[in-house]
Parts: sequence; C-alpha cells; structure tokens
Amino acid sequence: MSYSFDFTGLEQGYDSLLEGLKVTVELTLAANLIGVTLGFVVALLVMSRISLIRTPVMLFIEFFRCTPAIIQIVWFFYCVPIMFDVYLDSVTMGVLALGLNLTAFNAEAYRAAIQSVPKEQHDAGIALGLSPFQRVIYIVLPHALRSALPVLITNGIGIFQQTALVAIVAIQDLMYQGKSLATTTYRPIETFTLIAVIYFAVSFPVAQLVQLIERRREVASR
Amino acid sequence: MNKSMSNLSSAKSFSATDSTNKSPTASTSGQALVKVSNLHKSYSPTIQVLKGLDLTMAAGERLVVIGPSGGGKSTLLRVMMGLEQIDSGSITFAGQPYITANDGKAKTKINLAVRQQIGMVFQHYTLFPHLTILQNLTLAPRKVRGESKASAEARGMALLTRFGLAAKAGAYPNQLSGGQKQRVAIARALMLDPKLMLFDEVTSALDPELVAEVEQVIMSLAEQGMPMMIVTHDMWFAKNIASRVVFCAGGVVVEEGPPDQIFNAPKHERTREFLDRVFHI
Ligand SMILES: Nc1ncnc2c1ncn2[C@@H]1O[C@H](COP(=O)(O)OP(=O)(O)OP(=O)(O)O)[C@@H](O)[C@H]1O
Ligand SMILES: [Mg+2]
Repeated sequence: MSYSFDFTGLEQGYDSLLEGLKVTVELTLAANLIGVTLGFVVALLVMSRISLIRTPVMLFIEFFRCTPAIIQIVWFFYCVPIMFDVYLDSVTMGVLALGLNLTAFNAEAYRAAIQSVPKEQHDAGIALGLSPFQRVIYIVLPHALRSALPVLITNGIGIFQQTALVAIVAIQDLMYQGKSLATTTYRPIETFTLIAVIYFAVSFPVAQLVQLIERRREVASR
Repeated sequence: MNKSMSNLSSAKSFSATDSTNKSPTASTSGQALVKVSNLHKSYSPTIQVLKGLDLTMAAGERLVVIGPSGGGKSTLLRVMMGLEQIDSGSITFAGQPYITANDGKAKTKINLAVRQQIGMVFQHYTLFPHLTILQNLTLAPRKVRGESKASAEARGMALLTRFGLAAKAGAYPNQLSGGQKQRVAIARALMLDPKLMLFDEVTSALDPELVAEVEQVIMSLAEQGMPMMIVTHDMWFAKNIASRVVFCAGGVVVEEGPPDQIFNAPKHERTREFLDRVFHI
C-alpha cells in the first residue's frame, strides 16, 4: 500500500461532523421511537383474524422488507409529496421513511415474541378478569418487549447505519457533513475513514449490549 | 399436617379483607351455587371431551373432582372459568345464567359479571414474570375494578402476611420456590373476593416437600367457608378437604357422594377400578 494517510486539515471539520452526528443520532432515536411502538401495533394487526386488516398490513411489511432502503427514502421524498399532496420538511420525511422501515422489521420480531407468550399467561389474565386490551398492555407487551429486545436493538443499530442514506436528500447528517468535508479538504479517504470510525464507535458498544443480554439469558435459562 | 377437616364450618363466608361476615350467597342459600346441565364440549369433531356432564354444587361445598387422566376434569374447570367454548348445555351460578351454548353458531355466551366472581389457580405457574409479587396481586384489582393503588397494596400485603409471604412482596416470581409461587397465585385470585375457587392440580408440578404448604393454604380457605372445586390426584388431600367427591370419567360424572362413601364403598365398578389403581401402586 503506497498511500500514506494524512489527517491534517480535518480538524476544521470536527464541529460540523459533531453537528452531523447529532442529527444522525436524532434521526436514529426518532426512527426507533416509531419502530418500537408502531412495530408492536403492526405485529398485532398482522396477526389479526380479519383478513381485511391482515392483508394490507402484511403488504406494508413486505414492501419495506423487500425493497432497498435507499429506494424507500427516495420514494418518500419524491413520490409521496406528489402522490399524496403532503409536503413535509426533509427531516420529517427522513424520520418517517426510516421509522416505517424499522417498523416493518420490528413487527416481525414482535410477532415471534407475541406468539411465544405462554397460553397459561393468557388464561391467567382471563381468569383475573382482564379485558383483551388490558391483557395486551399488561401481559403481552411486557413479555414481547423483553423477548424481542435483542432483535429490536439490533434493528435499531441497523437503522443508525441506514440513516447515512438520507444524506442523498440533503439532510445534514453525519454522512452529509462528511461528504462536504471530503470535498473541501480534498481528503476523501481520510474523511470517510474518520466517519466510519465514528459510526463504529457508536454502534459497537450498543451491539455489545445485545450480546450481554443474550449471554445473561443463556445463563438464566440454564 | 392438619386437624381433621370434618368439623369445617360449612357456610361461613370468606373475604380477602377478612373483615365482616358479609354473606355473598345469602339470597341463594340452600339453592345451588353452581348448576352444570348437560354440558358437551369438544376440542375438534374427533376430540369429544365432555359428553353431557351434569353437576350441582351447593353454597359452602368443597367439591373434589377425581378421575382418570383425560377424563375431562381440567376441561370442566376451564369451562367453568369461562376459558373454553362449549358445544351445548349450560351453567348457572347462584341462580343466574353464567355460561350458555349458542347452538354451535356463534360463540358461547359468558356472563362476565359472574365470571368475575370465580377465581382459578392452575397446575402450571401463571404468575406474571415481569411484575413483583405485590404487583401480581394488585394488577387485576386496580385495572379491572379501579381500586386505588394504596388500597390494593394494603389488601395485598395483608394477604401476603397471612400466607407468610410478606417478605417476598418486592421479589419477582422467578425468585420464589414452586410452593411459594402457587401460594401467591392463590392470593392473587383471592384479591378479587371470589365466591368460588377452582383449583386444577395446583400441587402436581411441585416437589413433594412443597406440596403440604400449598395444601395447607387451601385447607385454611376451606375452614373459612370458601366454596371450592378441586381437581387433584392426591387422594389423601381429597379425603381431607372434600365435602363431596365427584368421580368423573369419559366426560360424564360417573359417581358422586361423601368422601367416606366414594373412597370406602364406591358403587360403580369404574370408580372401584380407578381407586384400586390409585391406591395400589
Ligand atoms: N386444547 C386442547 N386441544 C385438543 N385436545 C385437548 C385440549 N385440551 C385437552 N384436550 C384433550 O381433552 C381430553 C381431556 O383433557 P383434560 O385435560 O380435560 O383431562 P383431565 O381429566 O384433566 O386429565 P389429567 O388428569 O391428565 O389432567 C384429553 O384427551 C386431552 O388430550
Ligand atoms: Mg387435568
């Protein structure tokens, strides 16, 4: 390898990178807020016995799972405003696209978790007089959250990385700031290396958290 | 383990708060508390479980249901708890319609106001794992009845204290022994002041040394006059707690009578066979 790295000159961009990271983290948190809550609702709907509810929700899930995220984002930015005549600011659109994408993936995680709620727990809830809605809130949801948690976090980290895609629609996230820094400094390799390290530094500890949870569960179930 | 249960007062009422002697079934005393008529239940066209079961229970009775595995004992209790659809027949509770078949068309009609007066404890542990013991007790009173947190917790603590579990109020179910879990499950059901308790083999998942502590709690409820229906394979317990024994096999009641009669002088060949097998292993 003949290329020698030269990080001098990148310091001028630290502030903007930090700004970008803030936007990226905000996008991630907002998308996760949507994904974690709406994902549960969507999971319940897709398990509905009524096919008029189940089928469209299933299509929603499959659309987001079976198309590239980048197309979903572009589609949200250019098609939704035209087709539905709604014009929202780009950050809102980005959050919606990412949030709904995450919703689809989380719904699948929740579905498995909901199905793993033991029948006895439902029986006990009925015997205690809890209504179907109360059973969902007080019995099914805590169980599903707990057992889906590792997958929810993994999906959440995934979305943290996917946020980089919104740079193409001019949201000033970490990726966007990195791109402009690369252009102004003429140091694309160093800049993108630095950006990769930042993404890694945030994701890695969270990914470790998943492993920690899973290891603790293994011990507990022994 | 316990004094003879033959001198149990039969009709004293029970309340979880242990206060005055309010009489829930006073208006119907002497009348049947539960009346099961011609109950048919199948899980699928090929799995017919209850085949025209009739059963009457007076207020203050402690019915013990015994019988061979697969005979429909659990199914009967589950139907009585409103957990299962039925094919035909009906159940009344204190004179009110409780469960009514809908000719196989729509769903079984269940009178929810009656269901709230019945409590059940299961063979498997059914405590909610994400809630503390005290929260397990207070969830239903608070959410179903709208009782205040303070009041529900006070009643919950009183019950836990009575059951020797006060120290576990803040623990989670997985920190308890099987016997403790079942005692909490009983306390949880009692929080709703049931007029009838159903126990389905509540000790059969327990280690032998933990059985007594749970049976003792049920005995103490019996002493206070709580009407109950108990399914058990523990014949010693059955003899001691029953005011009447029901032998159930093949989805019907084959024979019923006082414990003395059923255990010492069963009339039916099938009952005799079953008891022989149970007592001579
Ligand atoms: N959910 C279900 N689906 C299909 N069949 C069932 C179901 N529950 C019970 N059965 C069947 O119904 C029959 C009666 O079961 P039930 O549990 O009522 O018997 P039991 O008298 O309680 O037996 P045991 O003493 O073994 O507990 C059995 O043949 C059982 O396999
Ligand atoms: Mg059974």
